[in-house]
Amino acid sequence: MNNLARRLILCTTVAFLAGPVMAQSNGVVRVGSKIDTEGKLLGNMIALSLEANGIKVNNKTSLGNTKIMRSAITSGEIDIYPEYTGNGAFFFSEETNPDWKHAQAGFERVRALDLKHNRIVWLTPAPANNTWAIAVRKDVANANQLKTLDDMGKWISAGGQFKLAASAEFAERSDALPAFQSAYGFKLKPEQLLTLAGGDTAVTIRAAAEKTSGVNAAMAYGTDGPVAALGLVIMADTKGVQPIYAPAPIIRAEVLAKYPKIKEVLASVFQQLDSPTLQALNAKIQLEGQDAKKVAAEFLRSKNLIK
Amino acid sequence: MRIAFATLTTAGMAFAALAGLPLVSVAPNRLVSGEGVSGWAMLAQVRAGIHVSTIETTLPVLLLTALLALIGIGVFARQTRLLNLGVIAGTATLILALLGLCGAYAAQVALAQSPYARTSLGSAFWLVTLMAWLAVMDRLHAMQAPLWLRGLVWAGWLAGAWWLAASGSIDQLSLMKEYANHADTLGAAVARHLEIVVLTLVPTLCLGIPMGWVLHRWTRLQAALMPVLNTIQTIPSIALFGLLMVPLAWMAKSWPTLASWGVSGIGLAPAVVALTLYSLLPVVRATLAGLAQVPAGVLQAARGMGMGAARILWQAQLPLAAPVILAGVRTAALQTVGLAAVAALIGAGGLGAIMFDGLFSTAHDLVLLAVLPILGLALVCDAVFVLFTLLARRSLKGEPT
Amino acid sequence: MITFENVRKSYGQQCVVRDLNLHIQRGELVALIGASGSGKSTILKMINRLEPHDTGRILFDSHEINSFNPRELRLRMGYAIQSVGLFPHWTVTRNIATVPTLMGWSKTRIGERVHALLTMLDLEPEMYGPRYPHQLSGGQQQRVGVARALAGDPDVLLMDEPFGALDPVTRASLQQELKRIHQMSGKTIVLVTHDIDEALLLATRVVLIDHGQVVQVGTPLDLLSQPANDFVADFVGRSDMGIKLLSLQQVRAFMRDEPPLPQAAIAIATTLREAVSTMVQNRTQSLNVQDPAGQHLGVLHAADVFGASAAPHA
Repeated sequence: MNNLARRLILCTTVAFLAGPVMAQSNGVVRVGSKIDTEGKLLGNMIALSLEANGIKVNNKTSLGNTKIMRSAITSGEIDIYPEYTGNGAFFFSEETNPDWKHAQAGFERVRALDLKHNRIVWLTPAPANNTWAIAVRKDVANANQLKTLDDMGKWISAGGQFKLAASAEFAERSDALPAFQSAYGFKLKPEQLLTLAGGDTAVTIRAAAEKTSGVNAAMAYGTDGPVAALGLVIMADTKGVQPIYAPAPIIRAEVLAKYPKIKEVLASVFQQLDSPTLQALNAKIQLEGQDAKKVAAEFLRSKNLIK
Repeated sequence: MRIAFATLTTAGMAFAALAGLPLVSVAPNRLVSGEGVSGWAMLAQVRAGIHVSTIETTLPVLLLTALLALIGIGVFARQTRLLNLGVIAGTATLILALLGLCGAYAAQVALAQSPYARTSLGSAFWLVTLMAWLAVMDRLHAMQAPLWLRGLVWAGWLAGAWWLAASGSIDQLSLMKEYANHADTLGAAVARHLEIVVLTLVPTLCLGIPMGWVLHRWTRLQAALMPVLNTIQTIPSIALFGLLMVPLAWMAKSWPTLASWGVSGIGLAPAVVALTLYSLLPVVRATLAGLAQVPAGVLQAARGMGMGAARILWQAQLPLAAPVILAGVRTAALQTVGLAAVAALIGAGGLGAIMFDGLFSTAHDLVLLAVLPILGLALVCDAVFVLFTLLARRSLKGEPT
Repeated sequence: MITFENVRKSYGQQCVVRDLNLHIQRGELVALIGASGSGKSTILKMINRLEPHDTGRILFDSHEINSFNPRELRLRMGYAIQSVGLFPHWTVTRNIATVPTLMGWSKTRIGERVHALLTMLDLEPEMYGPRYPHQLSGGQQQRVGVARALAGDPDVLLMDEPFGALDPVTRASLQQELKRIHQMSGKTIVLVTHDIDEALLLATRVVLIDHGQVVQVGTPLDLLSQPANDFVADFVGRSDMGIKLLSLQQVRAFMRDEPPLPQAAIAIATTLREAVSTMVQNRTQSLNVQDPAGQHLGVLHAADVFGASAAPHA
């Protein structure tokens, strides 16, 4: 290898290695998020709001799944990211605690626990609920007057033609399908359930929309965008079986202490995010294919939260 | 009369694909699957389109007919250099013309249906493209085309595709719509992907080649080390990324200087470490093979003349082993370009992030938007290595570079 | 110049060189000859420490070779092997310049040396200098190999069956070349070969080795006329020993000072073996002897060669 090639490689290496070094300088808030649509949306909202308020931000959104995000924030590699209040039940292994089924109680509980154990502060949550739900095809729902899970349960027990596409986790977790079944008095036979790998509701919703393998209902999340657009309707959880999963920014205590105004800035953002709003924004990203950062910026601008 | 069977076969298959399979598929939105539309139906609808001029409808038909005729001639006529070039040019243009036709149809659909409707390129299009590529490769081979001519053909086709994209005539295709939505992030993603590859190759070379030399020198170590490298290859990539997260996070926590250098449990660090581990096997194996094929006489004469071990390594062994080692590095590089996509799952970014975005939303054109650049990167990488190898072999044989 | 004192070497249980005592004087061309596996290559490699010896001493220039730095020792010894071992990625010039470059000579000095060596070995410098080894024939490659061995002006030239892989014509040509180089430069040469004819042609002294031991040391004439035992006699060629003896003798010693006869002529520098061969070819018993200019010098009679008449004219 001649001298020129050697020098080129050396320079390139130094340049690339210097990149991450320079980004780790102090005073920058590292904003992360989960790898799903809503995570990207909320993560970018956080990043943009902080930047608009004079805080330097390192945008590390779309990093990984829940496990990766929790270990990232507890080990101090991420400073802030949007999490769901209901997940507190799993972080602290108290799935049976009834507090999680109530928005305010759940929030208070996870706030107290995380501050005590991990020095992580939970900021003002959004008034939305991104919990597990079952969405049924609109034509089926209309034909059988199904609006709530109660209606659906009765209809299934009466012999209604029903097939649900769901992830293995949803089908097996005690607080998911089994909880729905016991609360609403129905039991799915094996041929009425199509189990898919992975928890992507886009796949299940699509299956129901296209009647793949006879599926006419899908596992969905409360704030999923494409539900309405793909001709499905979410069955209301009138008995409150599911824990409340309200999105809230969680931040490491030291970073909050450094920039106390983060609390108000993000509160003014998250308070505007109710379920219909989140559904619409998620739809823009998933249905129209728009970039999450652009959608977040547009929304914040429309609410005069950033310029 | 000699029939060019390769051209005949590829043309026949392409024709069959156009006749039997959908050229595009139209979906009401990007999340659900679409319905196929065959080439003839498309052509008829485009011609009937009221929003485009007569020229824009007849031109595609004329062009397609002319190109098909050219290819037909290519099957039966004598293969002169000029004819070969003509067939190559015609085939390349045919693909661009088909692309343009699909774009025009997509524009019709966008006007006629809801704004969320998406027109994707269908299986017929991809099959015809594959057949066209095979036919062109066959003609280039028959011509014994030199490297510059092949490069020119590629460059010409890419320039044509670029012009088509820039003119806006394929803007309504689903793929281009995804591109429009992700234009800013795509460039950064490509750069990031390249960054991952380069950052992996440097430690791979610095570790792999010396390791290969050590194993060559002390053959007994081979029995111990090669099985380890082989085992690493069998670990699924996402599992290895996951396994590395914990120790790296611990290291970053225990030694803050490491953290300031970018070592962390997520992102680039575990990705680069895992990808380096995967790249070691091909490089070590190639180094071993390269050193083994250095003629024994050369080494004996060198020693007998009074050259020291280091000098023999640097002046004789490594230059003579270089072409083989280069082949190993090429394998490692191509492997890394592909695997780097998976690294997005642990936050390393790059084209993989866009790809998984598309996968999770079942938006297949977004997946394509990410995968095509990955393919492009792999092809460019390969071409660079072919060039390097050519130069290395030439300098060994003493021909002017 | 080089002395072996009670040298012994074993590979594990097998003893490959036993009780070797040998002295090689400056300016000699010593041929180490023996069957395959007799240990002759090993003995050669012990001189430049490519192989270590177990017991005994080896002296080079009156110093123990183990007291030298191996690399510096080898720089003082030229080394040529059967497979030549030229660097395929270097030009002929660069290959020959290997040792002088290692020794730190100036560029001009190296250039001159390479030029001189190529000329000496009958390779036109302008044409062959820039070529690469794969562009040369086997014989040309070995010429370059010999040039490379001589480049650093070594005290000793070690050669391990250098012409073994060449065809007979090229081999003969290179043997003559080596003889000429030895006569011109007066260098000490140690040559390992299994070809007795090569040894008889080139060597000032021949050392016959069998199973790691010296069977006989002596001039070619000694081995031919007074073989120490049957093994030596068989090795040197019992059946055509007389013919081989003829190849050691020159025409000059048997020529008579007589006027020319109407017969064919041979050069003065011919061996008796070639002269007898010419006689058989021309079906004559006498030949005229001429000097290189064509001047008549004398007459050679077959009777004198075969010792039938009175003592030859010395």
